[in-house]
Amino acid sequence: MAEIKADQLLDCKGLSCPMPMLKIKKAIKDLKSGQILEVWGTDPGTKNEVTEWCKKEGHELLAIIEEAGYNKYFIKKK
Amino acid sequence: MSTFFETLKDFYQQAMKSNWSPVVGGIIIAFLAVLLEAWYRPWGIVGGIRNWGEWFWYAIGVIEDRPPHPIWFSSSVLNLGLVLGAFISATLAFEFGLRIPPLLEIIKGIIAGILMGIGAGLAQGCNIGAWYMSLGNLSGSGIIMMIGLFIGVFIGVKYLLWEIEHLSSSGGREISFGKLNPILGIIGIIILILGTYGYFRSEHEDGAVLGGCFILTAGIGYAIHRSRLCIVNSFREPFLSGDARMARGVALSLILLTLGVTILKMAEIKEEMLYVTPTFGLAAFLGGIIFGAAMVVAGGCGSGALWRVAEGQLKLWIVVIFFSISNAIFRHYLDNVWEVWDKGYLGKAVFLPHYFGYGISFIIIALIILIWYLLVDWNEKSEKFVIGI
Repeated sequence: MAEIKADQLLDCKGLSCPMPMLKIKKAIKDLKSGQILEVWGTDPGTKNEVTEWCKKEGHELLAIIEEAGYNKYFIKKK
Repeated sequence: MSTFFETLKDFYQQAMKSNWSPVVGGIIIAFLAVLLEAWYRPWGIVGGIRNWGEWFWYAIGVIEDRPPHPIWFSSSVLNLGLVLGAFISATLAFEFGLRIPPLLEIIKGIIAGILMGIGAGLAQGCNIGAWYMSLGNLSGSGIIMMIGLFIGVFIGVKYLLWEIEHLSSSGGREISFGKLNPILGIIGIIILILGTYGYFRSEHEDGAVLGGCFILTAGIGYAIHRSRLCIVNSFREPFLSGDARMARGVALSLILLTLGVTILKMAEIKEEMLYVTPTFGLAAFLGGIIFGAAMVVAGGCGSGALWRVAEGQLKLWIVVIFFSISNAIFRHYLDNVWEVWDKGYLGKAVFLPHYFGYGISFIIIALIILIWYLLVDWNEKSEKFVIGI
């Protein structure tokens, strides 16, 4: 898969619920429409929460990539 | 052959890898909690957590009486079972890993843990013993606790929103266990089997009883982790995002639990005053506020902290350690030094059927849950109570 170029990076490694989602929401709020947020996270709950939240809010979840020891999420703001 | 293999693979995917919905988790937990109460005693978290903390105070000479052994003390066994069940769930799903939080989270864990110990000391239990099981056992204290929890959670959410604007934290990491996960899971299953067998075969007078407690709470731990059932979430998200999925699961679970326990008590299988604590009044109200605010900052309630301990969230390890130490000493003072419960100004024991009979009491609890359900459901669309981002 081609590299996704993100406009902003958010490091949520080591954080547990609800901090990752709170930080993601705040970061997305500060982006412009069409810009991409890259999130690094280690909380297993984030996967479902991000997916559900993007569906609800209309943002596009471009990819979830499993790296060694953390997940990368790419979210495109609607 | 290949089709049977695929069936197995599907089963693994459904039962062990993917998350269950809060409704599925809630139903299974209610079922197991009713079985546990019928078998021996109501489910609880804080009794065991306090027992661990008492050992700390005993070791340094502050508490003189030797606390019960954690392996032979039912409250503690309930927690051991829950943690083991959640650990099995986490490892079989490749979700176990040591998550090391940034410094700010560690500080929050210490403060929230201490406050949870104090809140749960006043209320004589956490969100499980003093709310979920308290309502299920038709105790009036659970209703007061619920009001306190709402106020506390609101305060906690206000803090989180402030924090997100003013403080930043990053630099956490994870020590992941990758392919070791299923091996740890199998070790967990072996410990569960041997432990249960050991309890049932032991000479100890409570052996068999504790064996049942151990395996039933392991079932609760497995279901609670797989569904990530989180009572903090059910109280918090209606304020924070409006999302009501967790609240719906918890509400359904509570109604089933209350129905089950009502039958156990009505049929005189269980003693009616079981889990009816002398906290109807200030104790449950203040305890609920303090515990509610703290559990939001901790990111886990009594049960939620334990299942996150089992998946390797170090912040919650810190929460549980400080929770246990603070609860043990605070309850020691409440019970033995200040002797507050006999004086009665913190509250009294209210068993609802003594005032309303069993039928009306069940309806009161069910109505409270129904109103909560309808409010969060309506809020999900209208966002009337949402103060979050």
